[in-house]
Amino acid sequence: MRPWRNSLLPLVVTALCLGQSASQLMRPEIRRVGAHLACLCGNCKNTVGDCAMIGCHYSHPAREKIDKLLAEGKPDQAIVARFVKDEGRRALAMPPAEGFHLLAWVMPFVAIAFGLAGIVWFVRTRLRRPGTAVALDDELVSRYRERMDRDLAKLD
Amino acid sequence: MENIGALAILLAFCLSVYSVAGSLAGKWRRNLFLIASAQRAVYAVWLLLTLASGLLVWALLTSDFRLAYVASKSNLSMPAIYKFAAWWGGQEGSLLLWNWILASYAAVVVFMNRRRFRDMMPYVIATLMVTQAFFVALIAFPLSPFEVLAVGKEITAVPDGSGLNPLLQYWAMAIHPPMLYLGYVGFVVPFAFALASLITRQPGDAWIHTTRRWTLVTWLFQSTGVLLGAGWAYAVLGWGGYWGWDPVENASFLPWITATAFLHSVMMQEKKGMMKVWNIVLISTTFFLCIFGTSMTRSGVLSSVHAFAQSPIGPWFTAFLALGVALTAWLILDRLDYLKSESQLESVVSRESAFLFNNLILLAGCFAILWGTVFPLISEAVAGEKISVDAPFYNRINVPIGLFLLLLTGVGPLVAWRRSSIESLRRAFLWPVIAGAVTAAVLAALGVRHFYALMSFGLSAFVMCTVLTEFWKGSQAIRAKSGQNLARAMVELTHRNTRRYGGYVVHVAMVSMFIGFTGAAFNLKEIYEVKAGDSFRLGRYEMKMRQISSGDNDNYTWRNAVIDIHQGGRLIDTMQPEQRLYKASRQPSSEVAIRRALHEDLYVNFAGTADDGKAVIQAYVFPLVAWIWIGYWILLVGTLICLVPSKVRLQFAKTRVLGVVARDAPVAQ
Repeated sequence: MRPWRNSLLPLVVTALCLGQSASQLMRPEIRRVGAHLACLCGNCKNTVGDCAMIGCHYSHPAREKIDKLLAEGKPDQAIVARFVKDEGRRALAMPPAEGFHLLAWVMPFVAIAFGLAGIVWFVRTRLRRPGTAVALDDELVSRYRERMDRDLAKLD
Repeated sequence: MENIGALAILLAFCLSVYSVAGSLAGKWRRNLFLIASAQRAVYAVWLLLTLASGLLVWALLTSDFRLAYVASKSNLSMPAIYKFAAWWGGQEGSLLLWNWILASYAAVVVFMNRRRFRDMMPYVIATLMVTQAFFVALIAFPLSPFEVLAVGKEITAVPDGSGLNPLLQYWAMAIHPPMLYLGYVGFVVPFAFALASLITRQPGDAWIHTTRRWTLVTWLFQSTGVLLGAGWAYAVLGWGGYWGWDPVENASFLPWITATAFLHSVMMQEKKGMMKVWNIVLISTTFFLCIFGTSMTRSGVLSSVHAFAQSPIGPWFTAFLALGVALTAWLILDRLDYLKSESQLESVVSRESAFLFNNLILLAGCFAILWGTVFPLISEAVAGEKISVDAPFYNRINVPIGLFLLLLTGVGPLVAWRRSSIESLRRAFLWPVIAGAVTAAVLAALGVRHFYALMSFGLSAFVMCTVLTEFWKGSQAIRAKSGQNLARAMVELTHRNTRRYGGYVVHVAMVSMFIGFTGAAFNLKEIYEVKAGDSFRLGRYEMKMRQISSGDNDNYTWRNAVIDIHQGGRLIDTMQPEQRLYKASRQPSSEVAIRRALHEDLYVNFAGTADDGKAVIQAYVFPLVAWIWIGYWILLVGTLICLVPSKVRLQFAKTRVLGVVARDAPVAQ
């Protein structure tokens, strides 16, 4: 009796999770809208369109909501706006490119610009310029000269 | 037993602190006995932590459910291998593993250098043991793995434990954390030597020569850990992804990036005596990113599927990081005079410049990932609004950065050290550029329209051509001299300069991985609801559900879907994705079925049962994904080649600074 009861458990668990057909909610138009929305289940960093967790407590109802709003004839932007209204801007999969959140997009490129500036500075300060006179360390040069003289003397 | 374990940890903490004090006091007072005593304290810490670890593992294997950790992370019916893996399955145990690995590394470092670097070693020991003391303090005070279950003052035991998280009951997950820790912890060693070199005002690069192999081995462990994690996510989580830009995944990737930059820029210091400050900054950043990554997994600051539960240790990490960064920054600034470059750049078009760009792009990628990871926190703190930074953000920013890095992987080896002439560049770039352009053109003609995919395949061909050309030219020269066949000449060539040619093999590994990543642009996925006898199709695969069977063992109950796979009307395979429900933890998990091939994987997940009793099957086709795992094995071979000593001891022509540039002096004729 117990093994039979245990084998039923997964069925019960998943049946509870699946209120509505999962395959129906993965239509291309639902995925298209879902691609703009973050899955807020807390376990993944996917979008509502990509989240593959069957019965996910966030993306599954979110897809149902998208399905419903699409059926009402709402355009994609209006559906996304509806999610933002309900959940705040955290509903968006990416930071909006406005206000403070513009920093999210700009900073990586600012970092690259700083890095490039650093390279330019490094090259300018470290690059030996052809034709520039060099004030040599006398002691070192005289050591080299002595060595050259010794070597040349050996050649003779 | 629990008292001995807890006491061992407490003693290890005391001895770590003593080792720090003893080595520093011994150095300052020139007392060799004190220094020797501090060294022996390092061995003692290792012994004590080995004892504590052994006791915890014994408790897990013998199911001693008086211990809260054992009761929450194992159960009677778990296989012994997973009981052992439960050592790192929870917060307290994994911190004990962290500590044991660090103590082992410290003991090896002290033993290997017991007669070397007498100036630096006291500071190396102090740095290692400060880190050790910090991590031992975490398990000695707030998070003891030897906490017992008690009712009132009476120690009690539960009849059975809750079991390890089912997602962790997988072979890759049994070795992924130790590999990652071997990487994370290993970077402490080069950092300790770098810091000691700063403190002792060493102008040279002795610390680099000493820790070069160490850094490489640690980098290999980190690479293995990251890729095992990716392999685990792919095979276990049931959604077919190997990388989700999860904060904890990012945290493991960040030090890998900076360590990769270090492994490249360190060559500039070895060969040209340049970039000394930068290399210290890079290895310090790598170390602190390791600590940052560890804190992210454990403090509960960011939500993640990988993270341990919320714990009180966040402020501990913040304090350690703040103090460590401040001290390191002060030391670097104070010792700038000792870190001056020994030579100058001779030309902008040189290998040196390629390394500079390589570092820039790696660091830009690192910053972009770090920025995306912490931006939700920054947004909440500054704008009062938590926002999501998910995979699309990372992909949008990092795909072009990654492609540029791939380009540099090919460009670097083609540019000579010191300077390259236009003519030599033309000769070097001709065939690789043709190979890349032809590959992209052929793929475009075959109907590939994805811009980044075309770029990636084209650049992969470009890099492969550069690497093959390097091997071809070198081995031809050896053949001409020695008359050996091509294979022997290639082995000889590689053996003569293992770092260079091993590095090229690692570049091939990167190409292989990029090909695997690019395949994601052509993924197919579909969900089907089917009953026995139903057929469904994905790509070129015709699938037919034969039956659903079920069963039971001590650990879990299972149901699997038996699916016949046909291609072109011919039965090619039978796949059996499985669903499990673990009895102790009452948690379900999926065992996906994967038909692996070089060109594509067919990936089938039995996701559940719909209202009408039909099985819900998720089917995916992942093109080229196998090349990611193949890339790992190539990376392993390449890194091992780098670790083999070169047959020929190479002398590098250093351009020494003989004097300072006098701008107004007359030009010498």
